[in-house]
Amino acid sequence: MATSSTAAPPASPGHPAGHAALVRDLQNALGAAAVLHLPEDLIAFEYDATIERALPEVVVFPATTEDVSAAVRIAEQHLRPVVPRGSGSGLSGGAVPLTGGVLVVLTKMNRILEIDRANRVAVLQPGVINLQLQEAVAPHGLLFAPDPSSQRVCSLGGNVANNSGGPHTLAHGSTVNHVLGLEVVLPGGRITRLGGRLVDAPGIDLRGLFVGSEGTLGIVTEITVRLVRAAPAVRTLVAVFDSVEAASEAVSAIIRRGIIPVALEMLDREIIRLVEPRIHAGYPLDAGAVLLIEVEGLAEGVDADGAAVEEACHLAGAREIRVAHTAAERDRLWEARKVGIGAIGAASPAFYLLDGVVPRTRLPAVMRGVMETSARYGFRVANIFHAGDGNLHPNLMFDPDEEGATARVLECAEEIMRLCVDAGGAVTGEHGIGLEKRSYMEWIYSPADLAAMHAVRVAFGGAERFNPCKVLPGGHGCASGHGAEAMAAIRRGSDSV
Amino acid sequence: MTATATDLDRLRHALPRDLERSSQHYVVDGVTPAIAFAPNDGSEVAALLHAADEAGLTVAPLGARTATGLGRPLARYDVALDLRGLERVIEYVPEDLVVTVQAGVTLATLQATLREHGQYLPTDPSPGDEVTVGGLLASARSGAWRGHLPAARDLILGMAVALPSGDVVHSGGRVVKNVTGFDMHRMHTGALGALGVVVEATFKLTPLPAVTRTLLLSAANIEACGDLARRVWDASLAVRAITVLGARAADGVMLPPVPAVLVEVAGSPASAERTLRELRSLAPSAGEAPVETWGRLRRLAAGPGATVLRLGIPPAEVETTVAALERSGMAAWAHLAAGVVIARGDIAASEVEALRALAVERGGFLQIEVASAALRKAVDPMGEQERLLVAALKQQFDPRGTLNPGRWGAGL
Ligand SMILES: Cc1cc2nc3c(=O)[nH]c(=O)nc-3n(C[C@H](O)[C@H](O)[C@H](O)COP(=O)(O)OP(=O)(O)OC[C@H]3O[C@@H](n4cnc5c(N)ncnc54)[C@H](O)[C@@H]3O)c2cc1C
Ligand SMILES: Cc1cc2nc3c(=O)[nH]c(=O)nc-3n(C[C@H](O)[C@H](O)[C@H](O)COP(=O)(O)OP(=O)(O)OC[C@H]3O[C@@H](n4cnc5c(N)ncnc54)[C@H](O)[C@@H]3O)c2cc1C
Repeated sequence: MATSSTAAPPASPGHPAGHAALVRDLQNALGAAAVLHLPEDLIAFEYDATIERALPEVVVFPATTEDVSAAVRIAEQHLRPVVPRGSGSGLSGGAVPLTGGVLVVLTKMNRILEIDRANRVAVLQPGVINLQLQEAVAPHGLLFAPDPSSQRVCSLGGNVANNSGGPHTLAHGSTVNHVLGLEVVLPGGRITRLGGRLVDAPGIDLRGLFVGSEGTLGIVTEITVRLVRAAPAVRTLVAVFDSVEAASEAVSAIIRRGIIPVALEMLDREIIRLVEPRIHAGYPLDAGAVLLIEVEGLAEGVDADGAAVEEACHLAGAREIRVAHTAAERDRLWEARKVGIGAIGAASPAFYLLDGVVPRTRLPAVMRGVMETSARYGFRVANIFHAGDGNLHPNLMFDPDEEGATARVLECAEEIMRLCVDAGGAVTGEHGIGLEKRSYMEWIYSPADLAAMHAVRVAFGGAERFNPCKVLPGGHGCASGHGAEAMAAIRRGSDSV
Repeated sequence: MTATATDLDRLRHALPRDLERSSQHYVVDGVTPAIAFAPNDGSEVAALLHAADEAGLTVAPLGARTATGLGRPLARYDVALDLRGLERVIEYVPEDLVVTVQAGVTLATLQATLREHGQYLPTDPSPGDEVTVGGLLASARSGAWRGHLPAARDLILGMAVALPSGDVVHSGGRVVKNVTGFDMHRMHTGALGALGVVVEATFKLTPLPAVTRTLLLSAANIEACGDLARRVWDASLAVRAITVLGARAADGVMLPPVPAVLVEVAGSPASAERTLRELRSLAPSAGEAPVETWGRLRRLAAGPGATVLRLGIPPAEVETTVAALERSGMAAWAHLAAGVVIARGDIAASEVEALRALAVERGGFLQIEVASAALRKAVDPMGEQERLLVAALKQQFDPRGTLNPGRWGAGL
């Protein structure tokens, strides 16, 4: 990791006034073992999955909702900001404690409290890992639909905070569609519940407003989720194309036929060349791009939909289509999707994982623009993304030790985000605004629009106290200048997630 | 306090002349407003809201007025804001399965437009054809499809809302997946127009199912119907509705007056055929029922003349609640997958409170759907919610209480 030359704000040198009293109060309330405050202990928490750094002043590990509430109250008494954190796999710098303060890490609250099979509901603490929940409910024939590619590490609290998506979001919707109720600790320490145990609750949809608020409105301390039945039949197929553009055309063609697969993912040549030697799933190394497509439902419906998907792909120029015949084959095909990002990390000293969304019909044109733009800047780009949703993830690979490379990668990324917005799209489909994209908010929203979002933050009581410098532009003491903020999305190479 | 002539003139000056309507046509809960307007776009709506806010007058946004009885009666009602003039389909891109409409477009018009391209907005049909998109979002009610299909709030990709400040604010966009900023549109869904006036909305759409069929399944008694309904649910079939009918409810929709399960099959020809086969093996008695049954059920739920309640009850327990309600003399039915029980009949305020306690104990809720203003004053129609947060949001978005004052209780 060699990005020390970048413009990350300095970690707070020395301690702000009242540090010892803050630590003492937190220790008294939560127990000494739940409070980290020595510099050598804090370093592990100065960044998330990105390279943006800022040291928290204190890190706490609450064991209960009451602990969280106590920590919030104490932080406020000492005029310190509060930053919630789950597993730290976020990609937009959301959990980076930019202005120091108390980092509340939810990883110790990691129990599954209830699985109600009959009503298809589970109740869990926020530190439960996404995959852990999947494994617990699978024996009941149920699943939790949001399946971020980071599911082996990311926490449900983080999923709720970011309204995370995954390959199966296409048919099932993002996290917000699967959260029934929340227990949250608000700024000021008040504990309350939003939503309930059923798909709808009367009144203003506060739970829906809260999901995706990236830790700025409160801390999630308990989550009630909806589970869905695993489909009786599923078909996974891979369509091989000569170019990203042809594959993009096929995406539109499938949707146009009125078929919404459960998953419709694209992997380009660069990704295939990185992953195939590792996993031997049989992806052709000379392909321009492949689509990984899944349809599910009743066996008869799957046959019909599968055939229609194949036809659409052939018409769009697929040179080959492979169907997984066994569960093992299916898993192998999916493995490529799951190890893709890790493979990029292994192949490059650093990379910038972009997240943008465009209307699906604009995918071919925008993907052409992505390839042209990265080529013009001279960066290798690897694309592995949720094509069916129009949710792009170009990964710009670069060496931060090379003179000027970091600045150029930020410029290139900004140009690509512009392409998305100009095509009628948005600047993030699932990774969140965090720190990284605060200034892009102004590309999309007017000052009045942003003021309305700020008003929500004020109503929840957290304007500057909870996760300051995130989501909305401006704010006191926040690093200025977009270059520094966008750094929040750059990832170190050699990560294993 | 009443509106003065000067106040009303201030409103008239804020809008083009030809937008005023006769206030006699806009009676709500027996109250006639002082003045009425029917603007044509979001900026006119915002101008009116701003002028009313400045003049200290209150505004009720209105669509087709099929749900003005939802929530508490208005504390004060000066200005009727008829939104039916916002009737344009702004952009429809069938290939993207995305549509943007003004809030006064009726659901019927919207569905007809989409049907031409084999698509639809998969929210439950409303009891009448004339309901507006804005009213649908503000009241956020659902029916038999919910639990199988998304709620309206899950289908919104973007929204424009006019505020008493005079601003028109936007959230979201036109892409099917988006976490750019807060989901402000969720806050306005179900808010009964208390936090802003929806002027435009963008939805994601779904292909129409190729085949739909309505089947009636019978079983010995209401308990057996509950079990049967859950077996259908567990079989993961291509269905869009599983509704358990009490005997009185069955009678109310012109079916034989015995408990039964009404199922709507929806899917591709192959899935639908398989589903019909499975249903017949789960319930050998299964037979087709008239498709109009669903419309009858919706009209039964729409009231007039009776009190209608919506209870949230976990799916595993719906039939016991249906049975208890029917014993008390009401007609009751349950949309299984959503955990919703609807009851229609006569009921006293004290009994409503008791039912609410029963639902809340099970993790559910009770909402009054249709009732006299007297009952809606005696019993909180919507039930408990986060009052402090609702009050704080109201303070931010409508600090002078211009929009539908009192809908959510005193001061809200
Ligand atoms: C290899 C890789 C692949 C990924 N793939 C996907 C993908 O497919 N889809 C996708 O959507 N994301 C993906 N992500 C991004 C990331 O994993 C998700 O955003 C995830 O939900 C973050 O969870 P976390 O527990 O790591 O949260 P953190 O990184 O710890 O925090 C993320 C944000 O949530 C807030 N937060 C965390 N916990 C709470 C809480 N309990 N209460 C309130 N706020 C809280 C934080 O303040 C921060 O703003 C990927 C990341 C990596 C590294
Ligand atoms: C028992 C029952 C069950 C129903 N079930 C369903 C169902 O399953 N699916 C379905 O789609 N419909 C259903 N409906 C209809 C639905 O709930 C509403 O009646 C209808 O959608 C309201 O539309 P409207 O245009 O008549 O609104 P109105 O009755 O005119 O207004 C309803 C409320 O919304 C506010 N409002 C209206 N327009 C706006 C706007 N643009 N911005 C902000 N606030 C606004 C009003 O002030 C009022 O408080 C049901 C109705 C009843 C009575």
